[in-house]
Amino acid sequence: MGEDGESPKINHSFLRDYVTEADVISTVEFNQTGDLLATGDKGGRVVIFQRETEPKGESEELCESGEYNVYSTFQSHEPDFDYLKSLEIEEKINKIRWLPQQNAAHFLLSTNDKTIKLWKVSERDKRPEGYNLKDEEGRIKDISTVTSLRVPVLKPTDLMVEVRPRRIFANGHTYHVNSISVNSDGETYLSADDLRINMWHLDITDRSFNIVDIKPSNMEDLTEVITAAEFHPHHCHMFVYSSSKGTLRLCDMRESALCDKHSKIFEEPEDPGNRSFFSEIISSVSDVKFSHSGRYLLTRDYLTVKVWDLNMEKGPVETYQVHEYLRSKLCSLYENDCIFDKFECVWNSTDSVIMTGAYNSFFRMFDRETGRGVTLEAWRESSKPRAVLRTRRVYTGGRRRRGDVGVDSLDFSKKILHMAWHPAENIIAIAATNNLYIFQDRVNPENQ
Amino acid sequence: MEYKVEAHRIMSISLGKIYNSRVQRGGIKLHKNLLVSLVLRSARQVYLSDFYSGACLNEQSEREGKEWDLIESEREKFPPATEECDHTEETRQNDQPPINETVEKADDEEVKPDAEHCTPTPEEQSQNSSSDLADSVSSESPVPDAIKQNQESPTESTNATLGESSQPQKTHVCTNRKRGAEESAREDAPQKRTKVTSSNASDDEESEEMETGNVSNLITIFGSSFSGLLSKDGAKPEAEAEDSDSGSGQICCDQMLKNLNPWSTAIVAF
Repeated sequence: MGEDGESPKINHSFLRDYVTEADVISTVEFNQTGDLLATGDKGGRVVIFQRETEPKGESEELCESGEYNVYSTFQSHEPDFDYLKSLEIEEKINKIRWLPQQNAAHFLLSTNDKTIKLWKVSERDKRPEGYNLKDEEGRIKDISTVTSLRVPVLKPTDLMVEVRPRRIFANGHTYHVNSISVNSDGETYLSADDLRINMWHLDITDRSFNIVDIKPSNMEDLTEVITAAEFHPHHCHMFVYSSSKGTLRLCDMRESALCDKHSKIFEEPEDPGNRSFFSEIISSVSDVKFSHSGRYLLTRDYLTVKVWDLNMEKGPVETYQVHEYLRSKLCSLYENDCIFDKFECVWNSTDSVIMTGAYNSFFRMFDRETGRGVTLEAWRESSKPRAVLRTRRVYTGGRRRRGDVGVDSLDFSKKILHMAWHPAENIIAIAATNNLYIFQDRVNPENQ
Repeated sequence: MEYKVEAHRIMSISLGKIYNSRVQRGGIKLHKNLLVSLVLRSARQVYLSDFYSGACLNEQSEREGKEWDLIESEREKFPPATEECDHTEETRQNDQPPINETVEKADDEEVKPDAEHCTPTPEEQSQNSSSDLADSVSSESPVPDAIKQNQESPTESTNATLGESSQPQKTHVCTNRKRGAEESAREDAPQKRTKVTSSNASDDEESEEMETGNVSNLITIFGSSFSGLLSKDGAKPEAEAEDSDSGSGQICCDQMLKNLNPWSTAIVAF
């Protein structure tokens, strides 16, 4: 009795806090309909979630509840070893991209540092029964026992999800692959590493076209690397890539086979007042995303997110401060390596809201129409299922409100790097270390 | 002056990061190392420019630590140094801005010739009873004959080197650089090791200058991204061919170069 009464008081939080490195989620991606959500982790595994559809009692139509349950799990990449260079190749999944659905099966591309794989995810809910030569367990029957012939019949079985690798695109990259992007033509995709971008055909694994090469002939002259790349959502000949110097280059593949020369270059002149030792690091773009309309670009550097208009190269049209209070702490962030964190950024489906991650399990959303930003938290302790997320604030001066978090009490080990926004609805998936949070806007579930 | 301390600290941290990236799983990350090398370069520019102005103020001091400052700044303008030994005070002040710009170029050019001529002589080292820094100050390369006459005392030798050709300065610097590289490349804090090996380093500031010197020397190797390492690798066969004098010098070169070789191999392969 006494023991039973005491057991709820035992603090098991230390078990929860113990995170295996391999379980850390490294990428999150919705498919084109939003029914499937894929996550990749550092251990090379991919977990696919499927949205539950449950009929609502009152209305006659099927109402999607917004709950995602595990659909399939598979090991995508294994740790590898490059014998020529004596280098280990991490199995961490850097990016997952879904292909547009063409038949009953789903296809996704997953990549680690070196190899890209195309996976086919298919369902099987029927199986043939009544073979003549095999029994139910598959054992070959003795011919003498067969007295009559019958045609096997398909019978429904429990749903089985099969995942098979269909293509393996290997040996295309010398450096670490950081991005993959499926082209709007549905046949090709690009993969980008630090110095080169290759274009592949989805059906051809032994050849790829190199479309960007910024490797200098003398590596000592290296000044910038490619940090992210993406195809235009509508124009299959256009793509953009970002660099560690904070520039964006828009390239048109119709101009030449090798797109080293950009069509447009987007860069903002540096503010001389903010110059420090770390100016170059914090100007490095960690993620770039086309808007759904294809008119704008969204970029994330260490302290800001910026919206660029493709028609204006001289600077961003909007700049949002994500965590400006960290500018004075750059030296300590450099020491603990946090300054190298690569945050992702996402658009909502109507391109009216942008979202990105920060530290202390915080993530930020900015409404482009009002210019205002809100801070939310993805943390188990403070959010119960179906509870409303309350906004958080980092105290940077002025009147301190209850619940404000001081800059020095931010937990820099809890970083929100990876996230995804549902392509049609206000549902977001946030990866916080080894946990996946899915939030839904109940007030405005559909985008106006 | 706090900028100097800050810059020094950032340089040490950056070097640590570059070294640690070798043992990281998944291979060397090009992007991160490029950013770290950029920080290293910025910090070094600030540090050396600050160092330079510090050297002007301590022109009259005869302590080896300060002499090391002078030699360091002297090295930066190595081509015209020989003719201008009398006008060094004025010219240093005048040349400060362009020097910083040419520092990196100078570093790249002088790394190769330094390796060939760098051999500390054991006789000078035993004579010298102060710090390791002083050892290196006095232990000039025997290759240029003119230098041998100026080896009586650290003080005199240093003053003489101010008027000497650029070679002894480079040599001296090269020796320190090698020691610095050798020590910094180890897991232990280079500062600790320097203090242990120095015999009479009673002056704390002198030791600190020495550590600074070692770090600065290592900076020249990481001069512009990886160029210092690559050129060091190329210079190694020449160094071994020409190095015939002192065993300690040979060991010094080899140990440092052994540490650099896996690096350069990794970079070249990368």
